[in-house]
Amino acid sequence: MAGDRRVRGVVRLVVRRALLAALTLWLVSLVTFWSIEAMPGDAATRFLGRDATPEAVARLRERLHLDRPAPERYGRWLAGIVQGDLGPSLASNRPVAVIVGPRLWNTLTLAGLAFLLHLPVALIPAAVAALNRDRPVDHAIAAVNLIAVSLPSFLIATLLLVGLVMIVPVFPAVSSVYPGMPPAQRLRALALPALTLAIVMAAYALRMLRDNLVEVLDSEYVRMAELKGLSQRRILLRHALPNALGPTLNITALNVAYLVSGVVIVEKVFAFPGFGTTLVDSILVSDTPVVQACVLIAAAVYIAANLLADVGALLFHPRLREAA
Amino acid sequence: MTPSVLLAPPVSVWGARVVRRWHRTPRSFQVGAVILMAHVVVALFGPFVVPYGPAQMGAGLPLAGADWGHPFGTDMLGRDVFSRVVHGGRIVLLMSMSGTALGLAIGAILGLVSAYVRGWFDEVVMRLIEAVISIPYLVLALLVVTVAGPALAGNPLLVVAVIAFVYAPRVARMARAAGLDIVTRDFVTAAQLRGESVWSIVRRELLPNATGTLFVEFAIRAGYAPVLVGSLGFLGFGIRPPTPEWGLMISENRELVLAAPMTVLGPGLVLASLVVGLNLWTEGVARILGRTARVGEQ
Repeated sequence: MAGDRRVRGVVRLVVRRALLAALTLWLVSLVTFWSIEAMPGDAATRFLGRDATPEAVARLRERLHLDRPAPERYGRWLAGIVQGDLGPSLASNRPVAVIVGPRLWNTLTLAGLAFLLHLPVALIPAAVAALNRDRPVDHAIAAVNLIAVSLPSFLIATLLLVGLVMIVPVFPAVSSVYPGMPPAQRLRALALPALTLAIVMAAYALRMLRDNLVEVLDSEYVRMAELKGLSQRRILLRHALPNALGPTLNITALNVAYLVSGVVIVEKVFAFPGFGTTLVDSILVSDTPVVQACVLIAAAVYIAANLLADVGALLFHPRLREAA
Repeated sequence: MTPSVLLAPPVSVWGARVVRRWHRTPRSFQVGAVILMAHVVVALFGPFVVPYGPAQMGAGLPLAGADWGHPFGTDMLGRDVFSRVVHGGRIVLLMSMSGTALGLAIGAILGLVSAYVRGWFDEVVMRLIEAVISIPYLVLALLVVTVAGPALAGNPLLVVAVIAFVYAPRVARMARAAGLDIVTRDFVTAAQLRGESVWSIVRRELLPNATGTLFVEFAIRAGYAPVLVGSLGFLGFGIRPPTPEWGLMISENRELVLAAPMTVLGPGLVLASLVVGLNLWTEGVARILGRTARVGEQ
């Protein structure tokens, strides 16, 4: 009976968190729509520019229903989004969803690869630092880490580009991917942008991972394992790492904002056809429906990652559950 | 101030006291402060010393490699990159710091007022702030640039406004959390009983007690501001050329990086050194104030 009540309690908490996330996303849609609405002129004149003929402007206005009052257009836009329709793009006649969809998929592939790559890049130095706590190696890793955190992602990307494309030609300079591309080639194109993002992410994760590892290595059960005579390697891999990795991954999920922001820069450097390049290109040509959609998607990714992290923490840490 | 400082015998020479205090600060604070001082000195006096102007073409052959006359080489227009980097320091520092300060001021007021008045105002403001924070910072920066429109594009004030707009909600969240703690203290109740206004309580009771939190917050945000300025410049949404902003320079010289690598590495290393200095200093300040800094947090 008690277990049943506890399950119901967790379900209620998760539902409440999900509703809060939906509310936040709705507020983002308000902010996005009304900030663009507050700009001088309307979407048609901004997109067509000063030299447009009145007929062209009138035609675009009609297509975008700009004669309707703004609240009605907001309602229509929101209703469309709920059904997966993000409206028409101005720069091309295709729907925004058709333009952004495949590019978002490319970016998600890139982000997924970067996430996998960042684990060893962060784990190995973190383990070395934690095992040599307060020794010169630890300080050296901390110093390199500080520099890595301080390097802007566009600089890391450019350095990798110079090193691995031009001096030692291993990877292509332009990371274009297209549908039906052979997997091996696609992986080669994704490698450099993914490595850049992985370094950026690893730089943030390393320090926390090292601190968590130090704490775990000090714990009773690791001491117990040492007394049992297990090898250093086994203790690290089987006992310390899994326990230090959990909280770190949780923070990584919360820090998806770095990843999304990094994606915009890294995609631009490698001319990768993803979500970030779409956003930058549509700002340059004032294709506001695409800009709005991109902002909303970026926020949705962030909110979803946070929701997952919260729910995950709730499920895996019983004490949080009791307290909540 | 620690008791040992209070009990120390009076030192007649002011300089000696400064030196003693300096020796007591953490190493990260010392290194960071020295790097920052170097940047400030170069930004103040460097432009009078370097041999070429920021937009002076024909300082050397285009894309000449680095040598003693041109430590960072020359770009494709024959401009001396080192001189441009030195001239750029002023604008980068000025925009980063004023943007951060503006964001801190707005965020602190919003957060502290929210913490004090609570109720529906707090609820609405915090929900909105939560929504704005959920837009990743660079995407939010680009949204602000879009909304500002072509009339303001390339204006340094827009860059300042963008930094302030990105930071204000994040600062507000921290300030509110600090404020909620202060509001429960007796001196706030006393001020309420004296019949002081909301504004007066926020300014005279809450703000002085939140300075530690706000100072660390400023340091953390300031450490990232030059990267934000550089990122905007790199993407072409910052200051317009020929302003020698570092991110913009890196993006301009990137195409021909193999012909003259120092034209990219030079501004890049200078930008990185500024951020390293700011981050070290932040870490030191946080340790002095007994707080943990989340250096690199955006």
